Amino acid sequence: MQDISLHLLDIIENSVRARARNVKIRVIKDVGANLLRIIVEDDGSGMDSETLAMAQNPFYTSKAEREKKVGLGIPLFKQNAELSNGSFMMSSQPGFGTVLTVDFELNHIDRMPLGNLKATLLGAIVGHPEVDFHVILIHCDRGREHSFHFETAAIKEELGDIPLTYPDVIEYIDQSLNEGIQNTNMENV
Amino acid sequence: MKTLADLKKIREKAQEEMKLRGGSVRVKIVVGMGTSGIAMGAREVMKTFLEEISNRNLTDVLVTQTGEKGLSSMEPVVDLIEEGKAKVTYGNMNPDKVRKVVVEHIVNGRVVSDYVVATGD
Repeated sequence: MQDISLHLLDIIENSVRARARNVKIRVIKDVGANLLRIIVEDDGSGMDSETLAMAQNPFYTSKAEREKKVGLGIPLFKQNAELSNGSFMMSSQPGFGTVLTVDFELNHIDRMPLGNLKATLLGAIVGHPEVDFHVILIHCDRGREHSFHFETAAIKEELGDIPLTYPDVIEYIDQSLNEGIQNTNMENV
Repeated sequence: MKTLADLKKIREKAQEEMKLRGGSVRVKIVVGMGTSGIAMGAREVMKTFLEEISNRNLTDVLVTQTGEKGLSSMEPVVDLIEEGKAKVTYGNMNPDKVRKVVVEHIVNGRVVSDYVVATGD
């Protein structure tokens, strides 16, 4: 994975696979604290403490139906956070969901770029119409704060039976995310 | 700023169109978005499908994302499902190939056999 947004997409797919109905994604850039924080919270099936520990092991995978015997998504994300003096925390409760908090040192030379956040969010939102997404982007720079909130439940309610892949809807979500990303200075991070 | 009022207009327009063509989905596209797919460029494949649908105003096409299906060496993998036809699986996809599949297969109805890695269930 070349950037944080690709890892984010991978994590969102995990939530969807855990049958989450709601996925809350927060991206926080705090210049004063020299911090880039990603939080993904879902109400999927969750994991017990044993599975939670195993999920961080590259030779564990929950995808038993396949021949694949490695699960690199989470271990690689963790490694990339730790390489930039950050941290990786995952907590979970069976039946309630999972919360993942990944921190990066914002100006660390080895921090991977945030990458194309819009492509990750647009694909996940449109590609999983059964899941409600709540996206929050926050940019803090020494007392000044800009934030962006985007909730797909309200959009789906307004659309009724019109699918999210309807051309004008794709454009609507694309432009909304674009504005939010620009207003919170999440481009070229 | 985009507002929910914009969505209301979109809904009215879409409902009008659906009435005219009977409202059914003609083609369903499923993009494999497992870890190896993502690492091999599946996000850009998804992005290009969405751009093409939007630019070409394809109102009867549905795109979704799914996990891996055991074709890791051929990622990114895309399934095209049309009613009454065998499922077509395209492999080793990239944005250029997506644009070709959209024009040839989805718009003109001709399978791009060079990119096909599996057919049927």
